Amino acid sequence: MFGFTRYYLSDTSCQMTDLLPVVVVHGGAGIIPKERLQLSISGVCAAVRTGYAILKGGGSSMDAVVETVIQLENNPAFNAGCGSVLNVKGEVEMDAIVMDGKTLASGAVSAVRNIANPIQLARLVMDKTSHACLTAEGANQFARSMGIEEVPQESLITEYSRMRWRKNLAPDANPVESQMGKAGTVGAVAVDLEGNVACATSTGGMLNKMEGRVGDTPIIGSGGYADNQSGAVSTTGHGETIMKITLARLILFHMEQGRSVEDASDLGLACMQSRLGGLGGVVTVDPQGHWAARFSSKQMSWAAAQRDIMHYGLYTGEHFTQSIN
Amino acid sequence: MSAVLVVHGGAWAIPDELAKASVDGVKTAACEGFSVLKRGGSAVDAVEVAVRALEDNTVFDAGHGAVLNKDGEVELDAIIMDGRTLATGAVSSVKNIANPVSLARAVMEKTSHVMLTSQGANLFAESIGISTVPTETLVTEYERREWEKHKNYNTGVIEDFNTQWAHDTVGAVALDSAGNVACATSTGGIRNKMVGRVGDSSIIGCGGYADNFSGAVSCTGHGESILKVTLARLILSKIEQGKSVTEASQMSLQHMGDRVKGAGGAIVVSPSGHWAATFTTERMAWAAVEQDVLWYGLDPGERLKEQLPQ
Repeated sequence: MFGFTRYYLSDTSCQMTDLLPVVVVHGGAGIIPKERLQLSISGVCAAVRTGYAILKGGGSSMDAVVETVIQLENNPAFNAGCGSVLNVKGEVEMDAIVMDGKTLASGAVSAVRNIANPIQLARLVMDKTSHACLTAEGANQFARSMGIEEVPQESLITEYSRMRWRKNLAPDANPVESQMGKAGTVGAVAVDLEGNVACATSTGGMLNKMEGRVGDTPIIGSGGYADNQSGAVSTTGHGETIMKITLARLILFHMEQGRSVEDASDLGLACMQSRLGGLGGVVTVDPQGHWAARFSSKQMSWAAAQRDIMHYGLYTGEHFTQSIN
Repeated sequence: MSAVLVVHGGAWAIPDELAKASVDGVKTAACEGFSVLKRGGSAVDAVEVAVRALEDNTVFDAGHGAVLNKDGEVELDAIIMDGRTLATGAVSSVKNIANPVSLARAVMEKTSHVMLTSQGANLFAESIGISTVPTETLVTEYERREWEKHKNYNTGVIEDFNTQWAHDTVGAVALDSAGNVACATSTGGIRNKMVGRVGDSSIIGCGGYADNFSGAVSCTGHGESILKVTLARLILSKIEQGKSVTEASQMSLQHMGDRVKGAGGAIVVSPSGHWAATFTTERMAWAAVEQDVLWYGLDPGERLKEQLPQ
C-alpha cells in the first residue's frame, strides 16, 4: 500500500554525523504517464545533485532546498513554475512555501501569477517582510518592489498542460481524479552540516481549479514544516485532504513522540487515507540525517543524496542507488 | 452531551475605552451562538452565528470594524471547520464582505476546495449571490483616524510588530448535543499590513482546527507567530497526548512565547465538554456558555459568572 524505500545505510554501520548533510526531493505523488517517467526521474536526480553540492560546500539547508526547488520549477516536466497546470480559466496561479527549522521563520505565496520561481518569492517574503504569507496581487506587488521580473504567462505554460486543461473541460471529466494523474508538486527537505533543517514546496496547484483556489502547498503545517527540534517534511498529493489533516505537522508530531522518519511518515499517510480516503506522498528528514521518501499513491518520483550516494525511485518499493562522483 | 460555546474577541492590549464594549460584545455573541445549540442546532451553525455577531459588531476587527491595510483597503480572512468530517472552508484577503465566516462556510459546502483567496474568493462570493459592501460601511471613524495616524510610520518593508496596532481577530468554538465540535475564526488582520498579507486566521491548524477526536480551537494574537508554531494544531496534539484543555493551551502559548517571542490567546473545547480561554497578551475578551451559565473575562485570571434565564 505504501511506498517502500529502505535506507541504503541501514545495512552499513556508521556514525550519526556521517549522515550529514542530506537532501531529499520529490517531483509529486500520483500516477505519472509512461512517456513522462524518464523526464520525471532525471529531473529529481539532477535537482538533488544541485542541493547536495550546496550542502557539501558548507551551504545552509535553506539555500539547498531553495536552489533544488528552483531547478524543479524551471523543469517543464513538473507542475511548478514552468509546466504548472492551468486553472479553470486557463491561467497559471502558483503557490509556494519555505521554512527554516532553526528559527521557524517561514515565507509563502499563494495564487501568484507571472513569476518564474515562486519559491524565490516565498523566501523573500520570509527574509524581507514581517509577514509569513502574501497572496495574489499583493504577492505580485511585493515581487515588483523587490525587482523580480514578471514573465509572460505563456512562458509558464507547456503544450502538455494546455492539452490536459482542454481535456478536463469536457463535461464528463473529473478534475479530482485526474489530479491524481498529475506529475505534481515539487518539494525538498535538507539537513546541513550544522544540523539545521529546512523545507521548500512549490506547485501550480490542481488541474482546472477555481480561480483563487489555494491548496496545501503554501499552508504552513500542510504543504511543509521544518523544526530543528523534530525534522522537516514536504508533502504532495490531494491538497484539500492534506490540509484537513495538516499532514506535515502531523508527521512531525509523531516524530516528537519518538517515531522514526519512516514510521511517522507512514502513520501520517495512513491517517490521511483511512480517515479521508486521500492519497499522497512525503519526503521527511530528522535533524540527525535520517530520511524517508514515502507515498500511498501509485507513484512518486523522488531522489535523495547522502554520503556521496544518490538514491532514487518511482514505484512502491523501488530504490536505486548510484555514486554521485 | 451538554452543549458548550466559547467565543473570543481578540487577544491584545485592549485599551480601557474599548473594555466594556468588548466584554459586552463577546457576552452577546456567546449567548446568540449558544441559543443555536440549545435549539438542537449543530456546532457548525453555532460558531457561524456567534462569529457573525462579532463581525457585525464594530468594536471588533472583523467584518464591520476591520482594520485597513497599507493602501487603506479592507482585506479579510476567515475559516470554519467541522470536527465531525474535518471539512473546512476558508477565505483569505477577500475584499469588502460583511460576513467572511459565511463565505468560508460556502467554500466548505459548495466547492471541492478548502480555501479561496483574493479576487477568486470575491468572484465566488458573487457567483453565490453574496455581494460586496462599500469600504465605508465596514470601516469605523476610529479606524480611519488610527490608520491616518500610523500610515506614515513604516515605509520600509520590515516593520516592527506593535501590539497596540493589533486590533485583533474574533473566534468561536462549540460542542453540540450530538457530540460534534466546530471552530470559526475571522479577522481584518493587522493595521497597515501589506496588500495581500495573510495571517493565521484563515490557515487551517493555525487560526483554528476542529476534530471530534480531540476538540476545537480558535486562536488570536500575533499572526506570524501563531503560524510558525501552528498553534491550534499544537494545542490539540497536546490534548491527544492526554493533557487537559487548560494545560494544553498554556503549554502551547508558553512554547510560542519561548520559541518565537509571540503572544496570543486561544479558546478550546473538548468533545467531553471541557473548555478553556487562555492568553499571554495583556487582555483577551472572552465569554462561554454552558448549562445556562455565562462565564466571561478580560484581564488575566478574571472569571466572572452570570446565571442566564432558563
